[in-house]
Amino acid sequence: METLLRVTDLSRDFGRHSALSGVDLCLERGQVLGLLGPNGAGKTTCLRLLSGLLAPTSGRIEILGLDLVRRPLAAKRHLGYLPERPPLHPELRVDEYLTHCAHLHRLPRRAIPEAIATAKQRCGLEDQGRRLIAKLSRGYRQRLGLAQAILHRPPLLILDEPTEGLDPVQMRELRGLIRDLAQDSGIILSSHLLPEVQSVCDRVMILHQGRVRFDAETRTARPTNLWRVRLGGETHVMHLNDLAPVAGALAIGPNQFQVDLRAEATSADLARAILLAGLELFELTPERSDLERTFFDLIGAEEHA
Amino acid sequence: MIGTIAAREIRSGLVTPLLWVLLGVGQVVLAWIFLQVVEDFSALDAGERSASLTQELCVNLFGFAAVLAMFAAPLLAMRMLSAEFRDGGYDLLAAAPARLIEILLGKFIALAVLITPLCLLPAANLALLSGAATLDLGQVAAATLGLWLAALFFGAIGLQASSLTEQPGAAVLIAFGLLLLFSIIGRAESLTAQTLSLFGWLSWNEHLFRFLLGAVRLSDLAYFLFFTGFFLALAHRHLANRRLQ
Repeated sequence: METLLRVTDLSRDFGRHSALSGVDLCLERGQVLGLLGPNGAGKTTCLRLLSGLLAPTSGRIEILGLDLVRRPLAAKRHLGYLPERPPLHPELRVDEYLTHCAHLHRLPRRAIPEAIATAKQRCGLEDQGRRLIAKLSRGYRQRLGLAQAILHRPPLLILDEPTEGLDPVQMRELRGLIRDLAQDSGIILSSHLLPEVQSVCDRVMILHQGRVRFDAETRTARPTNLWRVRLGGETHVMHLNDLAPVAGALAIGPNQFQVDLRAEATSADLARAILLAGLELFELTPERSDLERTFFDLIGAEEHA
Repeated sequence: MIGTIAAREIRSGLVTPLLWVLLGVGQVVLAWIFLQVVEDFSALDAGERSASLTQELCVNLFGFAAVLAMFAAPLLAMRMLSAEFRDGGYDLLAAAPARLIEILLGKFIALAVLITPLCLLPAANLALLSGAATLDLGQVAAATLGLWLAALFFGAIGLQASSLTEQPGAAVLIAFGLLLLFSIIGRAESLTAQTLSLFGWLSWNEHLFRFLLGAVRLSDLAYFLFFTGFFLALAHRHLANRRLQ
């Protein structure tokens, strides 16, 4: 597969404060990478570095093998960027704005009308062409921001919180669009919502305090047949290990156990076996995946801070 | 690329009211000054007149138009960079395959185009007299050129101030401060020895005054072009530094 983006040891300091340090990543064509993290984790800084708006303190960014710092013009030609706030000009009409963006991205003059029509159609803006941007609702502004990013069909698409301001139906449409766009490009998107990232991304990277805390493919990060149970009374882990559906059990707290079920067993089998063994079942919950555990641990750390 | 950026700025300038308000207010005041100068001049006998009508009109009308341009340029410039930093519109340019110099020149050319009607207003007022009095057209042309060059200089200061901050209000105040300094710096000459003319040379009004008298001198042309280039270079420096800050 073709490597669209290669980032090596990327760091960025603001004065004495280190906003991002030691980030390495590689993005292939067809991949959707989600940057996840609590507010202030360094997601936006990372995306601004990748789109050339900020210069890195150290490290290297290559877009299709072109160094972003040394050859910014050539590298930026392959880039579509939707910032946190869509970069719109409220005094222009939708079509005027998109035409301006097409010129900025150096699209050939003859290809512009078709590119605009396709981008509008993909973002659901077909009948908004004559409208003044100042009169658009927040959701439509977000769509227009996305339309300018995909207008020149860039191989690399960087989206900073793309679902911000969209209603649930629009969010679902956008997820579909992102999957659609990922067929012939690589996409990096940031979010602070775990389900959103899980539903659309192939790979997730969790940032916290400027460092990468977790980086894995979402498929491998899915939970196996792991469950968490809380039992009453004095129960030993051996009691659980003796039950038929249990492949293995692990004590993780007072009366709390992590149970790995056999492949064919379900949570209902486990509940039934616990009751038949005369144990008291207080709680039975699916164990979170590594991704969820890492994310919620970090969010928890934020809340306690 | 320069043309794309300039065209967008000009379009934005034309569809928002700021330019039209400046032109309207400017024309009302210029018309008043025009009327007063013509009335005063026609009330005098031929022997009492110390200067020609063209001279009187040029000095008064173009002099006031320069003050007007001094206020207009920072106002027009503030939203070209400062307001775009604030509203996020600048990110579009920064992520596009465009050089900083192209972005800056695009915006400066747009500013020059938008401020040109303001510089043509005094000449348009004088055109009313074309059938009634004989005017020195060469002097009017020199005065218009001087006014336009001064407006470019004000625009470059406006853009430089606009590149400094994300607060458009602060950008306008910085530009006004700089322009006022360049306006009154010539007065420092009277505080020091008369032979020291550096402060006098730095002041823009001295240079514009020669244009208004009909004298197009290379040194005055060089003054305006040098400082326009100087402030544009400073603005370029600031835009480059934004990526590093």
